[in-house]
Amino acid sequence: MAMSSASRPSPAAVTVDAQTAPRPLIQLDAPGSRWVKVIDQTRCIGCHACTTACKSENEVPLGVTRTYVKAVDVGVFPQARRAFQVTRCNQCSDAPCVAACPTAAMFQRPDGIVDFDKSACIGCKACIAACPYDAIFINPEDHSAEKCNFCAHRLDVGLEPACVVVCPTQAILVGDVQDASSRVAAIVQREPVSVRRPEKETRPNLFYKGAHQATLDPLAARRPGGGTFMWSELVDGGQLVNSGHPGDRPSHGWNSSAAAVLAYDVPHHAPWDWRVSLYTWTKGIAAGGYLVPLLLLLTGVVSASSPIWMWSAPMVGGAFLALTGLLLIADLEHPTRFVKLFQRPQWRSWLVRGAVFITGFTIVLVLHFASNAAELLGAGSAPGMAGAPEALAWVGAPFALATAIYTAYLFAQAKARDLWQSSLLPAHLAVQAALAGSAVTMLVAAVVEPGAVPTLAVWLAASTAAHLALVWGEVTLAHPTAHAHLAVHEMTRGRHAGFFWFGLVLVAASLAAPFAGSVFAPALAAAALVGLLAHEHAYVQAGQSVPLA
Amino acid sequence: MNDDPTKRIEELGARVSAAREAAESRGETFYPGPSRIHLAAFPPKERWDDWVELDSRAWPDRREKRYMLVPTTCFNCESACGLLAYVDRETLQVRKFEGNPEHPGSRGRNCAKGPATLNQVTDPDRILYPLKRVGERGEGRWERVSWDEALDDIAGRIRRAIVEERPNEVMYHVGRPGEDGFTERVLASWGVDGHNSHTNVCSSGGRAGYHYWTGIDRPSPDHANAKVILLISAHLESGHYFNPHAQRIVEAKQDGAKLVVFDTRLSNTATHADHWLSPWPGSEAAILLAIANELIASGRFDREFVRRWWNWEEYLATAHPDEEPTFERFEARLRELYADYTFEFAAAESGIDAAVIGEVAELVAGAGTRLSTHTWRSAAAGNLGGWQVSRCLFLLNALTGAVATPGGTYPNAWNKFVPVPPYLPPHPHTWNDLTWPDEYPLALNELSFLLPHFLKEGRGRLDVYFTRVYNPVWTNPDGFTWIEVLTDESLVGLHVALTPTWNETAFFADYVLPMGLGSERHDLHSYEQYDGQWIGFRQPVLRAARERSGEAIADTREVNPGEVWEENEFWIDLSWRIDPDGALGIRRYHESKARPGERLSVDEYYGWIFENSVPGLPERAAAEGLEPLEFMRRYGAFEIRKGVGPVHESAVPGDELLDTATDRFGRVYTAAPKPAAVNLAPVGSPEPDADGRRPVGVVVDGVVRRGFPTPSGRLEFFSPTLWEWGWREASVPSYPRSHVHPTALATDEMVLISTFRLPVQIHTRGGNAKWLDEIAHTNPLWVHPLDADRLGIGEGELVRVETEIGYFVVKAWVTEGIRPGVVACSHHMGRWKVGDVGQRQVMATVALDHQGDQWAMNRKRGGGPFDSSDPDTRRIWWTDVGVHQNLTFPVHPDPISGQHCWHQAVRVRRAEPSDAYGDIAVDTAKSHAAFRRWLSITRPASDHSPDGTRRPYWLMRPLKPARDVYNLPGDGRHLQPEEGASAGVGRPKARLR
Repeated sequence: MAMSSASRPSPAAVTVDAQTAPRPLIQLDAPGSRWVKVIDQTRCIGCHACTTACKSENEVPLGVTRTYVKAVDVGVFPQARRAFQVTRCNQCSDAPCVAACPTAAMFQRPDGIVDFDKSACIGCKACIAACPYDAIFINPEDHSAEKCNFCAHRLDVGLEPACVVVCPTQAILVGDVQDASSRVAAIVQREPVSVRRPEKETRPNLFYKGAHQATLDPLAARRPGGGTFMWSELVDGGQLVNSGHPGDRPSHGWNSSAAAVLAYDVPHHAPWDWRVSLYTWTKGIAAGGYLVPLLLLLTGVVSASSPIWMWSAPMVGGAFLALTGLLLIADLEHPTRFVKLFQRPQWRSWLVRGAVFITGFTIVLVLHFASNAAELLGAGSAPGMAGAPEALAWVGAPFALATAIYTAYLFAQAKARDLWQSSLLPAHLAVQAALAGSAVTMLVAAVVEPGAVPTLAVWLAASTAAHLALVWGEVTLAHPTAHAHLAVHEMTRGRHAGFFWFGLVLVAASLAAPFAGSVFAPALAAAALVGLLAHEHAYVQAGQSVPLA
Repeated sequence: MNDDPTKRIEELGARVSAAREAAESRGETFYPGPSRIHLAAFPPKERWDDWVELDSRAWPDRREKRYMLVPTTCFNCESACGLLAYVDRETLQVRKFEGNPEHPGSRGRNCAKGPATLNQVTDPDRILYPLKRVGERGEGRWERVSWDEALDDIAGRIRRAIVEERPNEVMYHVGRPGEDGFTERVLASWGVDGHNSHTNVCSSGGRAGYHYWTGIDRPSPDHANAKVILLISAHLESGHYFNPHAQRIVEAKQDGAKLVVFDTRLSNTATHADHWLSPWPGSEAAILLAIANELIASGRFDREFVRRWWNWEEYLATAHPDEEPTFERFEARLRELYADYTFEFAAAESGIDAAVIGEVAELVAGAGTRLSTHTWRSAAAGNLGGWQVSRCLFLLNALTGAVATPGGTYPNAWNKFVPVPPYLPPHPHTWNDLTWPDEYPLALNELSFLLPHFLKEGRGRLDVYFTRVYNPVWTNPDGFTWIEVLTDESLVGLHVALTPTWNETAFFADYVLPMGLGSERHDLHSYEQYDGQWIGFRQPVLRAARERSGEAIADTREVNPGEVWEENEFWIDLSWRIDPDGALGIRRYHESKARPGERLSVDEYYGWIFENSVPGLPERAAAEGLEPLEFMRRYGAFEIRKGVGPVHESAVPGDELLDTATDRFGRVYTAAPKPAAVNLAPVGSPEPDADGRRPVGVVVDGVVRRGFPTPSGRLEFFSPTLWEWGWREASVPSYPRSHVHPTALATDEMVLISTFRLPVQIHTRGGNAKWLDEIAHTNPLWVHPLDADRLGIGEGELVRVETEIGYFVVKAWVTEGIRPGVVACSHHMGRWKVGDVGQRQVMATVALDHQGDQWAMNRKRGGGPFDSSDPDTRRIWWTDVGVHQNLTFPVHPDPISGQHCWHQAVRVRRAEPSDAYGDIAVDTAKSHAAFRRWLSITRPASDHSPDGTRRPYWLMRPLKPARDVYNLPGDGRHLQPEEGASAGVGRPKARLR
C-alpha cells in the first residue's frame, strides 16, 4: 500500500503552535526540569477510564492499582454531590519512598519522575510503609514494588501518559511547570489547586484542581458499614485498609462536619504483617538478652565466669538475632535478593542502617561466643583470650542498643504512620529490650544461676513499670494528629484491641515478679514475653491501620 | 545500541518519537494531546505500520516492542467510539486498545470500557466453538459441532419455513445492532417480517416523543456550543454516546454553559450539575411543562420560529375548528393549554422546590437558541406515558427555536450517515403479529418483551428464533416466563444464540454460535454525536493486520480465536444455504457483483460501499494513494460533513417541484421522481397525496422548504396521528400521571428505579471484562436514610423487595443520593448460571426451582477465584455479584409507545430470618395477569384505525413491510371515532392498580 509523501500536520496541530515552546525532545538531564500533573476534578466524571487504561498500559494485575478513582458522597438530600479523586502516586519532590528504599530501587529521575527498578527491589515494603499516599504496592506477578511512574516509558518516546490520552473530559494534564506556556503551569500557578497531605513535607508534583476536602483527607469521609460500597464490595479487615473513618458517629472522630460517606474505594494492603511484629520482639530479646547479662556483670550480680554472661548472652542474643534475620528475610518478597542490601546500599534507609547494626551486633556475639568456646576447648591459655567478651562489650553494648532502638527510626521513616512518629519510641524500644532481656535472662538464670533471679525480677518489674508508663502516656495523651488518634483508637478499642489488652495484662502481671518467689517469677517472665509479643503486634498493626489514600 | 541510557533514548527518539518536533521534522502527523505540550497523544499515523514502543513491564530496561496499529470500533456500548489495536508484530496478538485519533466522534478518547476490550478478547470463559445442546434444552450440557453442521441444520429449517409459507416463524431478536440495517436487509432478502429488537425495553419511550415532533426518532444535541444543557438522567457517565457527549458537555461547561440535570438518583452527572433536580419518578414532564408555561406566559419564546414551524394551523383546524385560524388565537390557546402548569403544581408533583424550578426556567429562557437537551431512557423508559417526557423536553427546544441551531438539538438523521449498500432487497410482503400486534398500532418498536406472553396465549409459534447479542431472560422483565417459553419446544422450535460470550438466554439455546467482539468483526455505523456526519468502520483487527502484511484472508474465522466468526459472513453463508440454487430469489442478494454466481465477500461489500456510497471518501483515499477500503481499514473512520445546519430551512430545488400540489396547511407534494437516496439514515415516511405525489416540502412564508419528515412537514406540536388513532388526550405534549404516581401507590409502597446504569458496565456483555468487574460488581438497593430508619434497615443489611409478582433479597446502600420514598437498584448486576458453564468472574451459581407457576432462585455461591489460562482469575477478590431484580418485574407495556415502563411499585422491608442474599421468588401466573391488565388499556388498531391500516404508515419501523400488508385483514374497519374527547393535557383515566 502506498503512503502519501505529502503528509501534512493535522489542522489541530497547527493550533497549538503558540502554546508550545520549542525545546529539546528528551530532557533527562535538564536540571530542574519538573514533570507535574494536574488532575482537574471539575472535569472528572468518575468514569474510571484512567483506571483501566493504566491497567492495560502497564499490565497491572487484579487486586492492585496504580491509579483509581475514589468517590465520596457529600451532603444531605437534595443538596448532595459525589466528589471524585483520581488517586495515585504524587511524584513527590522529597519522596519518602526514595529515602526509605534500601537498594535505591525507588529513585528519582533528573526530570523529577519518581521511578522504580524492579530488578533492584528486594520487596521489603519500606517504600509502601513510607508513602504518605499509599500509592505503592507489590505486584503479585513479579513481587516487586510498583506505582504510577508517569508512564515514563511513554514520555521517553514522546507520548503522553495512557491516562491522559484516554480521559474523555481531558481532566488529566501533564507538563513542565517551568514552561510558562504549558497548561499545567497556568493552572498550578494561577488557579486554586491543592495537594494531598502537604503537612508530610513531600512537595507533591501532582496538583488537584477543584478537589474536595472530603476526598483529599482520607479520614474526612465515613467508611460505610455493611461491607458494601455503592456498586462494589467493601473488603476490610486483616491487612486490608480502606479509606474513610471507621467510626460510626462524628464523636468517634471523622474529620468532616459535613455529611460525607465513602462511596467507592480500593483497599490497600498494610505493608508489614505478623513477621514484622515478631521481628521487633525477637530483636528486643536479642538486644536485651545481651544487655541485661552485661548489666548483671557490671553491677556485680554475676561474675565474668557466670554462664549467664559467658553463654546465655551470646547464645540467647545470637539465637534471637538469627531469628530476627530470618524473619527479615522471610518478610522480603524477594528473599534471595537480601544481599542487595549490602551490594547496593542506599544509606538514608534505616533498613540499611539497621542491617549494619544487626551485622555488627552479630559479629560481637559470634566473637563473644567464639572466645568463650575457645577457652572452653583449651585455647584459653592463649594470651588475651580471657576477658575478650568484656572488652567486646565496649562495642557490643552500643550495637545492641542500636539494634534495639533503630526500629524507631525505621518506623519514623514511614512518614504518614503517625502512631510511629513518637519521640519516645527510641526510649520505649530500649525499655522493651530491658523488659525482654530481664525476662529471658531470668528464664535462663532460673536454671543456671538462681541467685540472679531476684535481681532480674526487680529489673523486670521496673522495666515493666516504665513500659506501662510509656504506653499509658501514648494512649492517654492528646494526639498530635487525627491519624495518631485513630491509630490509638484502633489499637485500644478497634480491630487490634484484643492483642493490645491481652499483651498489656500479661506484661503488667510481671509487676508482681519481685514478690513471686523464684518459682513463680520465671512464669511471670514467660508471660511478660508473650505479652510483649502481643503488644508489638498490636502496635505494629495499629500503626498501619489508618487509611492514607 | 548505545550503552549510555541518555544516548539510547535520543537514538530511539530520532527513530520513532511521536513528540512534536521529531514527528514534524519527518513530515509526519503530530496528534496533540490534552496537555498541549510537545508530547503526542498518539503515534504519527504514518508510523502505524511499524510503531516502536518501550515495554512497560521491562521498565526501566528500554526493551523495544514493535506494533502494527489497526483501528476498529468499540462494541461495548452504542457510542461506537474508535479504538486503535496495538498488534504485536512478533506474536500477532493484540497487546492493548487505545483510542483512535482519526475518529471524529470519540476523538481518540474512550471510557473504561474501551481499554477493557482486551479482557474480553483474552477471557478464558469465552465461547470459542459452535456448540449444540445435549439433552434437554436448558440442561446445561453442550457438544462442539462444526459450523457446517450448524449452518445446514438452521438453513434447512428456515428454508422449510419459507417454502411452506410460514415466514413469521423465523425471528431474529437483536440487542446491540452494531451495524445500521445489515441484518434487516438479510431478513428482507428472506422475505420475512422477522426483525425483533430490544428497543421497547430500552428507548421506544424516548424515541416516540421525538418522533411525533420531528418525524425522526432520536435527538442530536449540540452540547459543545450550548449555553444551557438540560439532561434528563446520567448522560455524562452512562447515557447514549456517553464518551463523545461527555467530552462536549464538559467543554461547554468550561466555556460557561450551565448544566441542569433531572435525575432522581445522585449520578455522576448530577454531581456536575449547576442545578440537580431529583424529581419524584414520573413527574419530569410536569416540571418541563411548568418551564414551558413560564416561557409561554412571559412571552419568552421564539414566536417567529413557532409561527413558521409548528403545525399550529392544523391544531386549530382540528381541535378548535370554530376558531379563527390566526397565530394569535393559537397563542391564546397555547397559553390556556399550559396555564395550570405552575411552578407550584410542578413542585407538588415532583417534590422539587418551586423556586428551583423557577431558576431553571430562567436559565432556559435565557439560553436563546443555544439550549441543548437530551433524554433517552430513564424517565421515558420508566413511566406509563413516559414517552411524553421526551416530547415535553423537545417542547422547550421547539419553543425557544433551539432546533438544529448551534448549541441546540438536531433531529438525529441530519447528523448521521447511512450509506447505500450494494443491494436493497424489497420490503417483505408479510406482517408479523407477534412483534407488531393489533393492540399497539403506535408502538415505535417491536413488542419484544411481550413475546413469551403472546406465544403462551397461542398467537403463534417460532420455528427458528435467533437471539443475537441479546439476553432477554436476564435483560427483559419477567425472565421466568421467558424461560418457560424457551424451554417449550412446541413454542420455540429451534433457538440459536449468536453471542461472543455466555449469557442467561444462551443457556436455553439449541445452538450457541460464537460471534466476534469489537476487534473481531465487521460493522459500519454512524451516530449523531455533534453537528456533522461520519462513518465508523469496525473490523477484525488481526485480519486487517495480516492483510496489511500481504496475506490474503478469505474468512474472518481464519484470524479469530478458535472458530469465532463474524455475523456478516455468517449471514451471507446462511443465506446461500437457505437458497443454494437461487431458486427462492434469496441468494442473489448475497452474490458478488463483480463475479456473479459467487458469494459476496465482506471485502467486496464494504469496498463497494466505500467506493460508491460515501461522498468524498474515494477522493480522500486517493489523496493518500489508497483504495477507499484500504483507507477505511487503515483509519477506521471518515467524516463526511461538518456543520450540517438546519436542513428543514433549506429550499427545495426547482427540479424537485413538478406538478406540485399543496394542502391547506402548506404541505407540498410533487410528481417529480425521488432523487436517488444518498443517506439512508432512518426517518419517517409521510404518505403520498391522493394522486400519488410524494411529499417533498412545506410552504413557509411563501417558500417551499424541506421541512421535517412528518405528515405535515412541520414540527408536530399537535399530532394528527395520535388524534386520529384514538389518543386525542395525548395529541399535544402533556403530562400523564405515571403508574407510580403517589396517588397510584398504597401507603406502604415505594417506587423502585431499576434502570440506572453503572459507568463501567455493559448491560449483559460486561461479564467478561475483569477490569470492569473489579470496579463494579454488585447492585445494592439505594435507600434514603429516612426510609432506612423507618424500615429498620442498617447499612449493608438484607432487605426484601416485593413487587407485584414476587420478591428479591438484596443488600441496602443507605445514601443521601436518592429521594426519600424512592429506592433504586442498578440493572447491570445479578448475572447467574445454573451449572458450571458460564462467566465465572461475575455470574453467581444458582439453584432454580420450578413448581407450576412458582419459581424460586437461590444463590449457591457467588463469584470467586479460579484457575485458568489467565493468572489474574486466581486473584478475583469479589464474591458479591449482585441480584437479578428484573426477574421479579411484570411486563408494563405503555399503550402508545409500547415501551416497557420499568419503574415498579414495591414494598421494601427487612429480610426474613429465612431469607438469604440473592433469593428470588416469582409467580408467573401473576405476571401473566399483569400482562392481561396492561393489555386492557390499549386501543387496538382493529378498533381505532382511521383508515383500515394496522399502523400509521408514516411512522418509522425497523424492516418496514410493503405498503399493502399494512391493511388490516378482512374489511379491517371497526371505526369508532371518539366523541367528546378534546385535545387537552388531561391525564389518562386508566387505572392499573
